[in-house]
Amino acid sequence: MNHLPTTLFQYLANHSIQQLEPAWLKLEKHSDIIIDMGGTWQHYSPKIPQTGQSATTIFDVLLGMLPIHESFELPQVQLKNEQYTDIFAIQDNGCDWLLFCDVTQNTLQLQQYQQVSNDLILLKAQMKQTLHRYIGHEVVARIEQGEMLLDAAGERKNISTLFVDIRGFTPFNERHDAQIVMQTLNDYMNCMLPPIMQHHGMIDKIMGDGVMAVFGVLPSQHHSSLDALQTAKQMIQAVHQLNQQRLNQGLEQLGIGVGIASGEAVLGVLGSHERRTFTAIGRHVNLAARLESNARVGEILIDEATHQALAKPISFTPVTLTLKGIGQTDIFSQTLPCTSNQGKL
Amino acid sequence: MIQKKICILGAAGVGKTSLTAQFVYSKFSEKYMSTMGVKIDKKMLDIDGIQVNLMIWDIHGEEKFKKITTSYLRGAAGMITVIDGTRPETIQTAHEILTRVHTDIGNIPNIFLLNKHDLTDAWDISEQNMAELQKYNNPIYTTSAKTGEHVEQSFHALAQLLIS
Repeated sequence: MNHLPTTLFQYLANHSIQQLEPAWLKLEKHSDIIIDMGGTWQHYSPKIPQTGQSATTIFDVLLGMLPIHESFELPQVQLKNEQYTDIFAIQDNGCDWLLFCDVTQNTLQLQQYQQVSNDLILLKAQMKQTLHRYIGHEVVARIEQGEMLLDAAGERKNISTLFVDIRGFTPFNERHDAQIVMQTLNDYMNCMLPPIMQHHGMIDKIMGDGVMAVFGVLPSQHHSSLDALQTAKQMIQAVHQLNQQRLNQGLEQLGIGVGIASGEAVLGVLGSHERRTFTAIGRHVNLAARLESNARVGEILIDEATHQALAKPISFTPVTLTLKGIGQTDIFSQTLPCTSNQGKL
Repeated sequence: MIQKKICILGAAGVGKTSLTAQFVYSKFSEKYMSTMGVKIDKKMLDIDGIQVNLMIWDIHGEEKFKKITTSYLRGAAGMITVIDGTRPETIQTAHEILTRVHTDIGNIPNIFLLNKHDLTDAWDISEQNMAELQKYNNPIYTTSAKTGEHVEQSFHALAQLLIS
């Protein structure tokens, strides 16, 4: 400031002060009683302050703030619609001061930037929530940390793939109103989706009454085949409980069948520039889909690779099936209670 | 007649202005306009036969690079901390605000509003989130500035706390 010639300093000061349209109140020390006033008050209040009055009675914005115990500032107070005022409360020797400055122009400009910034915050949150719902919190977190790529080239990994589907859903769909079908589907999805998340699986896609999930993409303490099998068992157990409730309500029961296969797959982004989806591609993925379509109510069918990775559990029975597009295949089966005897499809 | 100043605080976009507009004017707008500085509204309430003139300070949203000036809270008798029920991350902002308020101003009566409850599909408040808030021992309301759910009740509850 020392280097600024007085004339220029004066010019700048006048220019700035003029823009701020200041108005001031001089208050009795440690009181809110006005002892002097000046400035363009009509700019700030329909009531012009008078000496001897209480400042709080004119500006209720000052309620609880006077007398001034220490200097403070209230920035961008909207006293009237679309008019912003900075209020300064200043302690002085023998008196206190209140200074009002108009900052409307500056605030309205800042508001434009603020609006864009806040809109972006809300949009980002919305996008993040959508992404979480489609590919799960853990996947989003890994992508954000750069541990996983949403790359069209894909990444090779050994994974286990699980397919699950509601048996007899097509005739059920034909017999009922779409709204009842939607509600029923949501109830079943609530049995099928949480176990996937719980066992570190990733929901690849939901296809009507069917779900495809992959294990071994997200970090887990267990082998992907064990996570997939535990998920399948938990799904059947949850559906069994749901069926008992439905039976008590006089509603039809629905059963599920599961297919699990393990092997190498390429994980990557599939689709056109406009519409893309993250998925797993591999021979065993098709096998898992075929196993699921052959599974009966409450049955879990697993391929040989999964059976071996699980250390050949004795609870599974060997079966040989002829699978469409694959041929004769040795697989393993386990059936768990999924529906009660009465009222199932 | 008693005059009481209350402050509405929370992250940007949680619905502070919409809640105030619903409470004072029974109005709701879908259009989001970010608040600059502070806007002051008033509403007279009858609390058990006592006329309470509530001065509501609707303060701009707390952001990473734009913290709320605690001088706005001078003389406040109570506060409302608003959280967006569809954005659990706004709970963290609420914690930060409350920590600063407790340091600078002290403990004043507070209620939490979990807003946007009309957006049932996007609602994302877990039991863990609720447990975090319950630690404060402050009343918690789920609200919707859009439908008016619990808006009147929650402001009344705070006013009741202020005169009790």
